[in-house]
Amino acid sequence: MDNDVVLWIVVATALAFDFTNGFHDTANAVATSISTRAMAPRVAVTIAAILNFVGAFLSLAVAATIAKGIVQADMVTLSIVFAGLIGAISWNLLTWYFGLPSSSSHALIGGVVGAAFAADGPSAIIVDGLIEKVAIPAVMAPILAFVVAGVGILVTYRIVGRQRPSTVSRGYRLGQIISGSLFSLSHGTNDAQKTMGIIFLALVANGNLPADAEIPTWVVVSAATAIALGTYVGGWRIIKTMGSRIIKMDPAQGFSAQGSGAAVILAASHAGFPLSTTHVVSGGIMGAGAAKRVSAVRWGVAGNIVVAWVLTLPASALVGALTYMVVHLFGDGAAGPVVVSAVLLIALGVAMARRVFQGQTLTADG
Amino acid sequence: MLLATIDVGLLFEVVWASAIAGAVVSTLFALVVLFSARSAETRRAGHGTIATIYGAGAVLAFAAFIGLVVYAVHIMLSKS
Repeated sequence: MDNDVVLWIVVATALAFDFTNGFHDTANAVATSISTRAMAPRVAVTIAAILNFVGAFLSLAVAATIAKGIVQADMVTLSIVFAGLIGAISWNLLTWYFGLPSSSSHALIGGVVGAAFAADGPSAIIVDGLIEKVAIPAVMAPILAFVVAGVGILVTYRIVGRQRPSTVSRGYRLGQIISGSLFSLSHGTNDAQKTMGIIFLALVANGNLPADAEIPTWVVVSAATAIALGTYVGGWRIIKTMGSRIIKMDPAQGFSAQGSGAAVILAASHAGFPLSTTHVVSGGIMGAGAAKRVSAVRWGVAGNIVVAWVLTLPASALVGALTYMVVHLFGDGAAGPVVVSAVLLIALGVAMARRVFQGQTLTADG
Repeated sequence: MLLATIDVGLLFEVVWASAIAGAVVSTLFALVVLFSARSAETRRAGHGTIATIYGAGAVLAFAAFIGLVVYAVHIMLSKS
């Protein structure tokens, strides 16, 4: 009974993470398209939500065992997964509040690493895996995207530079619809899988499913729905940062950032080296701006984003570790997760109520 | 320890593959826009044959671009 309660709390928390993942990462697919008026904001997030939903059904290989190769798999318990999810959700909400794009995957890894560290000490962490799968991609992704998008926009200006600006803009707006759609589909195939993997892992750990079972349909549908709803709600603060606060972009720059970003992500994925979509698109936007004019990039905003990237792992790890310690205070039963969930839900309710009393809207645009 | 962790060959592959893919995507779509613009211009100027040739170029470049998109979706779906 106790185990079932923990299981359903983990499932609900995983879906909550999936939702925050959706609205946090909407910006990657739609920010440049909205900024250059390739699509109306609501149309852009609707298309992104639909493609995220569809993408979640297209690829069901459960490779998404969380923090695989980064923490010792046999040490991961439901309490660690729960604490890791709370760490990731907290970081996603904090960075959304400040309008900073950051990697939801790295936040999840950080949360699980912190919780595993609190549970079993340093022996639970595979340091080489952390360097190989988090640190190196985190450094490499934005730099590579910066250079590729920069070269891309120079090639573009060289080829179409003498054409009428209105014709060029019209063409690139069409291109942005295609590249944005590709990003959304890719996000659905990738990120919804993480939630499916977490729920599947929880079901197996709880004895509800054998390890070699297929993912139940309700898991696929609920994960797809959560990420699509999150995408539709749209993290407007982050969309604003990526679309207009880093650079003021024209449609060709928007396409270059996104098209080059997609090329970098898929080329890396093909080579078996997955990169963070957020890091790639942010780096691409900076590269497309800097190649035109270095001073076109608001380096202060870019610096804040980089600081958020650096802090993602330690901050979410800290929250994950603290959450695990609080859960552990209540023993191995359901009391810990129930208390932590109740406290967080009350805190969220109070924050929303205060906003209502202050006359602010409750949409994700803050 | 750090150097032992890094697969330099893989990193190099990622860099060159990304650079080539990015350049190809940018070039192809720029050609779509260029040929479309030239086609419209020459048609307005009354040069129907040249406009058709530019139009065909735009269609070819766009077909190649869509081919890349399809390949991208294939990569997306074939990852394990």
